[in-house]
Amino acid sequence: MPANNLLLSSSPHVYTGVTPQKLMLSVIIALTPVSVYGVVLYGLPALLAIVVSIATAVASEAAFRAVTKQDVRIGDLSAVVTGLLVALISPPSIPLWMVAMGSFAAIVLAKEFFGGLGANPFNPALIGRAILLMSFPAAMTTWHVPFQGISDATTGATPLNIVKMGGTIADVGQGFVANGLATASDYGSTLWTLFVGNRGGCIGESSILLILVGFVFLLAIRAISFITPVAMVGTAFVASWALGMDPVYGALSGGILFGAVFMATDYSSSPVTPLGKAIFGAGAGLVTVIIRRFGGYPEGVTYGILMMNAVAPFMDKLRVKKYGFVAPAKPAAKEAAK
Amino acid sequence: MSTKTFKGGAHPPERKDRSASSPIEVLRNVTQVVIPVNQHFGAPIQPLVKVGDQVKRGQKIADADGRMTVPLHASVYGTVKKIEPRMQANNLEGLAIVIEPLPGDEAVFMPTLDPFSCSREEALARVREAGIIGVGGAGFPAHVKFAPPPNKPIEYVIANAAECEPFLTIDERVMEESPEDFIDGIAIVMRITGATKGVVGLEDNKIHLVPILEKAIGQKASGLDIVVQLLRTKYPQGGEKMLITAVTGREVPSGGLPMDVACVVSNVGTLKAVSEAFRKGKPVIDTGLTVTGGACETPKNLFVPVGMLVQDLFPDVVRYDEKKLRRLVMGGPMMGPAVPSMQVPIQKNTSGVLLMDAAEAKVYEEGPCIRCGRCMRACSCRLSPALLNVALKAGDLDEAERIGALDCIECGTCSFVCPSHIQLVQRFRIGKQLVRAKKQKEAQRAGK
Repeated sequence: MPANNLLLSSSPHVYTGVTPQKLMLSVIIALTPVSVYGVVLYGLPALLAIVVSIATAVASEAAFRAVTKQDVRIGDLSAVVTGLLVALISPPSIPLWMVAMGSFAAIVLAKEFFGGLGANPFNPALIGRAILLMSFPAAMTTWHVPFQGISDATTGATPLNIVKMGGTIADVGQGFVANGLATASDYGSTLWTLFVGNRGGCIGESSILLILVGFVFLLAIRAISFITPVAMVGTAFVASWALGMDPVYGALSGGILFGAVFMATDYSSSPVTPLGKAIFGAGAGLVTVIIRRFGGYPEGVTYGILMMNAVAPFMDKLRVKKYGFVAPAKPAAKEAAK
Repeated sequence: MSTKTFKGGAHPPERKDRSASSPIEVLRNVTQVVIPVNQHFGAPIQPLVKVGDQVKRGQKIADADGRMTVPLHASVYGTVKKIEPRMQANNLEGLAIVIEPLPGDEAVFMPTLDPFSCSREEALARVREAGIIGVGGAGFPAHVKFAPPPNKPIEYVIANAAECEPFLTIDERVMEESPEDFIDGIAIVMRITGATKGVVGLEDNKIHLVPILEKAIGQKASGLDIVVQLLRTKYPQGGEKMLITAVTGREVPSGGLPMDVACVVSNVGTLKAVSEAFRKGKPVIDTGLTVTGGACETPKNLFVPVGMLVQDLFPDVVRYDEKKLRRLVMGGPMMGPAVPSMQVPIQKNTSGVLLMDAAEAKVYEEGPCIRCGRCMRACSCRLSPALLNVALKAGDLDEAERIGALDCIECGTCSFVCPSHIQLVQRFRIGKQLVRAKKQKEAQRAGK
């Protein structure tokens, strides 16, 4: 112990000041526009779902870590992000106990059982959603028309559902007009309505515009890399087109953009290397489209990303070539070093 | 003029403003010097003096045979009081010669030597005799660096004028105050190495030095191809490998040296010392350094005798607030070691003394890796710090070697950017040793 209380530590002695908490806060900020718009679309039930989901997530993380005698670190805000995400990918009419259960499953089953922050192999919010989807398929696929409140009279199919059931994009457009969500039913106005987000779906997934706002924000502060989302949406676009579906319509409807921006970019369940991110995104996009085209569900984003989560650790092997890389079995460089 | 750079890196706050405009003060009067005998990278040398001997300033006091050695010189005129192990700036104990100054200044320098008319061997001998080591980093003997084997011709002499470490301003001041010596040093090294191109790699936060340097080039090296190359202000732009890549576009091969890509990189202080060794016959007996930091009240750039103890800087030369001082760093904040006391000597390759206050010297607890990938983007060697960290924590040395543990230059950018304050570079320093030991063991086994 030095007499004058000088601190000893190995260099570097300065840090950026960025903390996990600040990164999580930036994700929350990026999710704020879609969250607010979800409440605008569906009113109080959406707000309650969001609040209950976040509260359950934070409480379950704190409780789990306290029970298992670990440091309670809800201050890092990662539980808030997970809770918020679970709510945003739930239908607006979800019963509050159900969203709470999804949130609990996300935090405890998918995250804390594996070691907590940074250690979860699967995206917690998507695991929460997958569990709910399998347990309560009816409640998880009941959709409502925006701006009309949540009641039995206001249920309606999502745009992807309509097409899955054999409808056309023109049918979707006529539906928008019938519900007062659009003034014209031509192709252009239908896509515009989808882009703005005035359509049935999960609380936070519908507005492409606001998702892109969040995306640009996260890119600007360099919280996420553009590679995964671009690879995922790009691949889905090409695959849709190749399988004879309308690629623009496919990109604007359903949850692919929300998933690509906020789910596939989850730090711990996605690869850290650039090439890994690209393959991860491409794989998730491809699986999504295959499920949309051939599967029983109209939407495949959840399973697309979860399946790629499973192979993400292997993609960490796809490292960038290090500085000064020389192919092995070249003794010349080694001799010079000695 | 285009600004070049490398891929990766980070932008630590520069904090150079407090000392950048204060002229260099030359210090002669000290109460004692503690000169570590082995300040260079290579084979150890032995003292040539005994306790009680009188030594003149500039007199050789330690040396040995062998290529990877450089001699050591007395930095003051005085009496050898002790020869004993002392704490060095790298936190290790090593043999040091303690000299107590006598009144007056009796100096003994070498005769001057014209670097352009003497033979190459004479010139290299002079560089060695002057005790010149690379002052930017590990203290590699300059005469070895300047004399690569014949199958490695040198094309570029790159002057490392990036000074990318935050806080430090001594190189900037040296270039501003004695640009001729600095440029002369480049010309001499070009002559010795046979290089055809000279480049001053300057970070663009020192753009005001460009006309000064270009004027000096015109005066001192008008016939030579020496240019000033602006580099983006980014840490670790002054890392040898990063500098070479920024200037030439070449990458030093893994496990190789700058000469493998026909480059010699030398620091500002080294080049100035080269010039002085020829023009004045002066060996390396002074160190240029910046004394600054949050707890320092009078930040300064200094030339002090090699071996001056940090504690002797206060309070006459520099004042600091004892209550504020929380960490003492020898060098810059990114790579300099923190030392436990002020009884540490300033060595040939000490570039700064940082007196950090509580706000600067925060210590954080290591959090879990959230795999945000910031270290992957920042790594100046394009290694994968997050994955290397996992491999080393798991004790998987084979994987650590594959990821490139031995290629890590220990710049510390990964630790700097890590939001969870994971001790990345700190773990890699240990990991490198473990991987090296493993390779040695494997080589032994293969030999049997």
